[in-house]
Amino acid sequence: MEHILKGINLNKTFGTKDQNIQALKDVDFYLDEGELLGIAGESGSGKSTLLNVISGLIRPDSGELFYREQEYTGKDPAHTGRFLQMIFQDAKSSFDPRFTMECSLLESRRKKTDRDALCGILKEVGLDEKLLKRKASELSGGQCQRMSIARALYSEADILLCDEITSALDVSSQAQVVEILKKLNVERKLSAIFVSHDIALLSTLCTRIMVMKDGQVVEQGLTTDVIGTPGNEYTKLLIESARKQSL
Amino acid sequence: MSETILKIQDISLAYEECPVVTNLSLDVKRGELLCIVGESGSGKSTLLRAVCGDELVKVTAGSIIYEACDIVGMKEAERQKLKGTRIGYIQQNPYGAFNPLRTIEAQFRETLKSHGKTFRRTDLREIFGILELNNSDEILKSRPYELSGGMNQRIAIAASFILRPELLLCDEITSALDVTTAAAVMEELFKLKSENGTTIVLVTHNIGQASNIADRIAIMYQGKIVEFGESEKVLMHPEHEYTKKLLRDVPRL
Amino acid sequence: MKKRISRKKVIKIKLVIMVVLALSVVFLTLFAGVIAKNDPYQTCATSIRTAPCVDYPFGTDNLGRCIFARVLYGGRTTIAATFALVFISFAIGTVIGMVCGYFGGIIDRILMRLADITLGFPQMVVAIAVAGILGGGIKSAMIALGITMWVSFARLARSHTFSIRSAAFVQTARFAGKNDAYIIMVHVFPNLLAPVLTNALTQIGTTMIGLSGLSFLGLGVIPPAAEWGSMISEARAYIQIAPWAVIYPSVATIITIIIFNYLGDVIMDYREVR
Repeated sequence: MEHILKGINLNKTFGTKDQNIQALKDVDFYLDEGELLGIAGESGSGKSTLLNVISGLIRPDSGELFYREQEYTGKDPAHTGRFLQMIFQDAKSSFDPRFTMECSLLESRRKKTDRDALCGILKEVGLDEKLLKRKASELSGGQCQRMSIARALYSEADILLCDEITSALDVSSQAQVVEILKKLNVERKLSAIFVSHDIALLSTLCTRIMVMKDGQVVEQGLTTDVIGTPGNEYTKLLIESARKQSL
Repeated sequence: MSETILKIQDISLAYEECPVVTNLSLDVKRGELLCIVGESGSGKSTLLRAVCGDELVKVTAGSIIYEACDIVGMKEAERQKLKGTRIGYIQQNPYGAFNPLRTIEAQFRETLKSHGKTFRRTDLREIFGILELNNSDEILKSRPYELSGGMNQRIAIAASFILRPELLLCDEITSALDVTTAAAVMEELFKLKSENGTTIVLVTHNIGQASNIADRIAIMYQGKIVEFGESEKVLMHPEHEYTKKLLRDVPRL
Repeated sequence: MKKRISRKKVIKIKLVIMVVLALSVVFLTLFAGVIAKNDPYQTCATSIRTAPCVDYPFGTDNLGRCIFARVLYGGRTTIAATFALVFISFAIGTVIGMVCGYFGGIIDRILMRLADITLGFPQMVVAIAVAGILGGGIKSAMIALGITMWVSFARLARSHTFSIRSAAFVQTARFAGKNDAYIIMVHVFPNLLAPVLTNALTQIGTTMIGLSGLSFLGLGVIPPAAEWGSMISEARAYIQIAPWAVIYPSVATIITIIIFNYLGDVIMDYREVR
């Protein structure tokens, strides 16, 4: 089966003169069409760097990136934005504070404005059309994050890259966002990479999980396998910690 | 176990002239770990801050009785004395508790001095030990900005604890931390409770987190407590619809 | 709680008062021709150094010119030059700041080092030196002050651009294929306008002091043009005979500077509490 997104041997080092931090070490990944891939890891694991490299916001030091077998390594967001969209942790700052939701959503689309499509999408993420007239400061965090999802869909991106998008939300809003993503995955065959430190959350949403630590992928596989029979010590620790925070 | 240390009676709180909490009553028993669970805007943090005597939170009705004294009517100086020595408060932002540019040691000395206690390294080492802050000398020499969020949060707990408060108020202290660190901090909190008998009130939006350590759980929704009881009862036999929803929404492994 | 709300109201009232005062100063000078009956340049040999009276409300100077008219017309020069200078510095500084903050790299390093060097000298000393080299005239006085003034705008704009540039909404605009020019014009500039404009308002007072100071030293406007600083400087010679010739332009300067400085402060407070 053709991978919709693929990365081979990605490396990235951040550094100053006297200190180098290798954020990504020979990372390989792939994403299939209609798949929800979860990347678990804690701060400093390189998971956000990986997402930024995939999106084109950061250029990798070495390695190759493919979208439907076509290489796009080193291309900037203006190019990658044609097939992928990033959703950020801080929902409020994803919108220009001076813009109404409507302006922000219209801005993100390259094609002609399509009112019907926009209304349809808002319905899918469970938001009222009236909210389009509001600014980010007048919406709740959960509403903003759903609006971000709506914006990504409206831009007609194939793939969503989600960077800790629920970690600033409370459990109920989080559950709502997760439900929406699941539904979109079924109804629209949406493909997405979902980065989070919360492996419990990933387990409820994703079909496949990659666990990252210190810039490397330490374990990956189907969610049931990774959660059921973790092979790596770090994965076990993550799962155990998550259990303590869960019911 | 049954003695009440803090009694909140029919309290109404307002923040910026808009009412946040209305007519709420709650009692905290000595030595227990009470979790207040609710989503953002439910008034749970406002409630804690009212107990601390935060000036921005206005008590419009009711009383907060701590060991037979009403905190609401108390003079500022008296309240300051109470705060820190008998009531400890740890906030959400781990960096917020300290001056980022001064060494941890200087700040510990200052805290202790302002509460009329002397700084002793042995005391500190003992508390750092409980919190698994092993290389205490190195930590004391460093400045908050050099340390990670998890480390800072643990030091903030240590700073509250070195004053040996009877009551420790924790406001979403793990939401800025990684899961593994959060789990460790929770464990340490539990240890402080069971080994030293400190009464702890923990505010969180994650009922999952509460379920593992709480003796009793209060569910807050729109400025009111909608369910309150023994941890097991609330988790196993929730009565209120909102509690049921919260339990449904927690991701499970 | 209650204290906080009333503080907000107090600041609002203060703001209204200060805006009204500032506007009235501006209008007074703007309509100098209507308010003052006498010609500010008309000398009169018969009424030299007349004390304030009905015809000459502020008296006359050494050449018999009406000080009331000269104060009003002089205010026009001072205020217009100040506004122009602040606006030009604001425009140049903001553009430099946005370019530095947005693109970073070598341009940023060069311009910011330049700014540091400029800040290394005391503003007034640089201004006197530059005005001295360029010769008299209000234009050279403006250039002399402007050389150091852009720096504060550039720094402020740069730091705001820095944080806006990394905000998620700018990244999102990039994914939508927007170019740098669009992002700067549509997202960066409108979002830093408010704080930089506030800075501009707080600069008005100091700029007025600077301009009047240069004129006082003979490096600003060229006589016989009326300007507060030069009027004070001229009349200083006969202060014991005709103190009003010094007092009125001085009082006008002080009041105007206080009004604009206070306006800047109040606007800062207002932005804080809002």
